[in-house]
Amino acid sequence: MHYPEPISKLIDSFMKLPGIGPKTAARLAFFILSMKEDTVLDFAKALVNAKRNLSYCTVCGHITDQDPCYICEDQRRDRKVICVVQDPKDVIAMEKMKEFSGLYHVLHGSISPMDGIGPEDINIPDLLKRLQDETVEEVILATNPNIEGEATAMYISRLLKPSGIRVTRIAHGLPVGGDLEYADEVTLSKALEGRREV
Amino acid sequence: MHIEELQIKNYRNYEQLEAHFENKVNVIIGENAQGKTNVMESIFVLAMAKSHRTANDKELIRWDTDYAKIEGRIIKNRGSVPMQLVISKKGKRAKYNHIEQKKLSQYVGNMNVVMFAPEDLNLVKGSPQVRRRFIDMEIGQVSPVYLHDISQYQKMLQQRNHYLKQLQIKKTTDLTMLDVLTEQFIQMAAKIIIKRYEFIRLLEQWALPIHEGISRGLETLKIDYKPSADVSEDQDLSKMIEVYENKFMKIKQREIERGTTMFGPHRDDLEFIVNGRDVQTFGSQGQQRTTALSVKLAEIELINREIGEYPILLLDDVLSELDDYRQSHLLNTIQGKVQTFVTTTSVDGIDHKTLKDAAAYRVESGVMTKIQ
Repeated sequence: MHYPEPISKLIDSFMKLPGIGPKTAARLAFFILSMKEDTVLDFAKALVNAKRNLSYCTVCGHITDQDPCYICEDQRRDRKVICVVQDPKDVIAMEKMKEFSGLYHVLHGSISPMDGIGPEDINIPDLLKRLQDETVEEVILATNPNIEGEATAMYISRLLKPSGIRVTRIAHGLPVGGDLEYADEVTLSKALEGRREV
Repeated sequence: MHIEELQIKNYRNYEQLEAHFENKVNVIIGENAQGKTNVMESIFVLAMAKSHRTANDKELIRWDTDYAKIEGRIIKNRGSVPMQLVISKKGKRAKYNHIEQKKLSQYVGNMNVVMFAPEDLNLVKGSPQVRRRFIDMEIGQVSPVYLHDISQYQKMLQQRNHYLKQLQIKKTTDLTMLDVLTEQFIQMAAKIIIKRYEFIRLLEQWALPIHEGISRGLETLKIDYKPSADVSEDQDLSKMIEVYENKFMKIKQREIERGTTMFGPHRDDLEFIVNGRDVQTFGSQGQQRTTALSVKLAEIELINREIGEYPILLLDDVLSELDDYRQSHLLNTIQGKVQTFVTTTSVDGIDHKTLKDAAAYRVESGVMTKIQ
């Protein structure tokens, strides 16, 4: 298929996004052509602004347009608790819950020697610096429940042991509100391992 | 369970085949290279959605055709079920009871078969890898959690080996991280070894009387799990973890020098012992054969215990490998309870009641006919 150059460039740009193949890209590109010019301009500005104005918070590593980020700045939050997560998206997920009022620390990844990612390649040194300040009493490790996430959590807990700070790990098992019958065997066996007295 | 009807189309050297089998011994007779094993293989493939002979599914499709199709009617305790497997160049499609199964893992396991082919003699004399694969496959058939644990273990092993290599070339010096990877590795290793011990104990329980029978009470079979570290069967999970921890502490420096994990389930082995001697090293060909046969027959009993019915037994070209006594003992063991398929070039010389009662089929260049 031969497209005029501007549109084939646009299609090519859309294809750089995750989950977008040539057909969807072409559909999106043609949709842009049918949009009002103002809307398209706003769209383009939004893209550029998001990239230009957002950076990582120098305290916690979360994405932000001001430094430190709005969570680190917020004086109402509980400064005694830090929740360690792998990704800025995890912060968003935790914030949606509206139950956690502590601070966050974003690692930007997990330790995986296979992929050449060691402890110093993720945001661990900054975490240790933050903890030298005496206000923190508990660190919650909320890395993903897979091999790399577990190893990362174990590594951090070893580093923190001498400091006397309380280190906790989030629980894993069955999703709430789900049906037992839909859980896979492995999740069920994990849930069984982690059972508790009622 | 048994298979009552089999239809195959464009499968290896068969253009079309329709057969009715009986719930007893079915003997398939034919000269070499006529297609006896292909019939056995097609039954195996219908059950497992893969061949025991090749990893390349395209080989199963008849020359110059686009797809191969295997259909069967399986009679189980709970009734009769049609199964269908289509193998094309693009992939496989499986139907169980007329419903397409999106995941092959949902399809496999509905029909259970145990195959005994000449290659299986490698179980005793082959490399440890063959025996580890045997254990993992057999436990995996009945425990999805074990399959998951094994794959996690492989990944942890890879992570740990990569890290040891980085320490070896001094790309990193952080030993805390090694400790973390070791702790994670040990937890999973101990879990796997405990499951393996359990399985080996059961397998031995079943194999012992079978082996005694085949050897006319002259031989006692023992199956031992040979761990690479000094753990033993009577230890529980926490004790085993402790043993491993001490071991890995001691060899830390050596592991770093070599850049690889030196102990764990991936280095363990099985040992078959007949009358106190290791069959792999000291056993005769005949003893090795008998041992492999006992283990396979024990597998049939294990499956019966787990799922409540006997699997279908496929004996490809093995009768001729056994002496008269072993042949008749084998046939006695399966008589009347296991649907069995046997291939042979001729039934002359095999004088046994089971075979005389058996249904017989002749195969000649891709055509199978029932002998009345």
